[in-house]
Amino acid sequence: MDIQAIQERINQRYPFLLIDRVLEVEPFVRSVAYKNVTINEAFFAGHFPDNPVMPGVLIIESMSQAGAMMYPKAKNGYIAGIDKVKFLGLVRPGDQLVTEAVNIQKAGAFAKVQVTARVDGKDVARAQITYYMEFEEEKE
Amino acid sequence: MESVKTLELRVKQCIINRLGLDVSADEIEDDAPLFGEGLGLDSIDALELVIAIGKEFDVAIGDDDMGIFQSVNRICEFIRTARPEL
Repeated sequence: MDIQAIQERINQRYPFLLIDRVLEVEPFVRSVAYKNVTINEAFFAGHFPDNPVMPGVLIIESMSQAGAMMYPKAKNGYIAGIDKVKFLGLVRPGDQLVTEAVNIQKAGAFAKVQVTARVDGKDVARAQITYYMEFEEEKE
Repeated sequence: MESVKTLELRVKQCIINRLGLDVSADEIEDDAPLFGEGLGLDSIDALELVIAIGKEFDVAIGDDDMGIFQSVNRICEFIRTARPEL
């Protein structure tokens, strides 16, 4: 799934679209997507001067967008909860941040996923993310 | 074969453990509302209960079954229908 297809699925846009490509999608089961991290990211100017490290909150956002790929296009999607978060390594310019997301449970407007982000095969972050999704009124 | 009392107690303990509630099982009434003014649970807690009850009692709770989380009695009723042996 390329960047056009990603933008058809979620509403995030520059400077907050934090995945570049989707590698695998099994609807309601699993998705894998990645972000290429470059020194041109605006946040590296301040996080931190002379020591560029991708902020953990943005790693979470990238993981969240990667996980959202397994669900159908919602009118709006929001993060409703984040549990069991661990940051295990630093993400720096040049890294490819690959997130694997696995569905834990979907119930009504809510869905929960287990997400793991890796760089070069090594885990850099893990979390459980709960989404709240708003769908268009269904026409009978 | 489990007694009727035991299933209610198991459900309450399952809820308390999953959500980390600071109450004991005997403080939760069988027919009291769990959400809002009752135990004060929210809609995100409901998703957690789908996971916890589903795993603990080996039942599948679909989107149409979400009404069972109104009370412990309703949850037990659902479990007994799905798993009559309990």
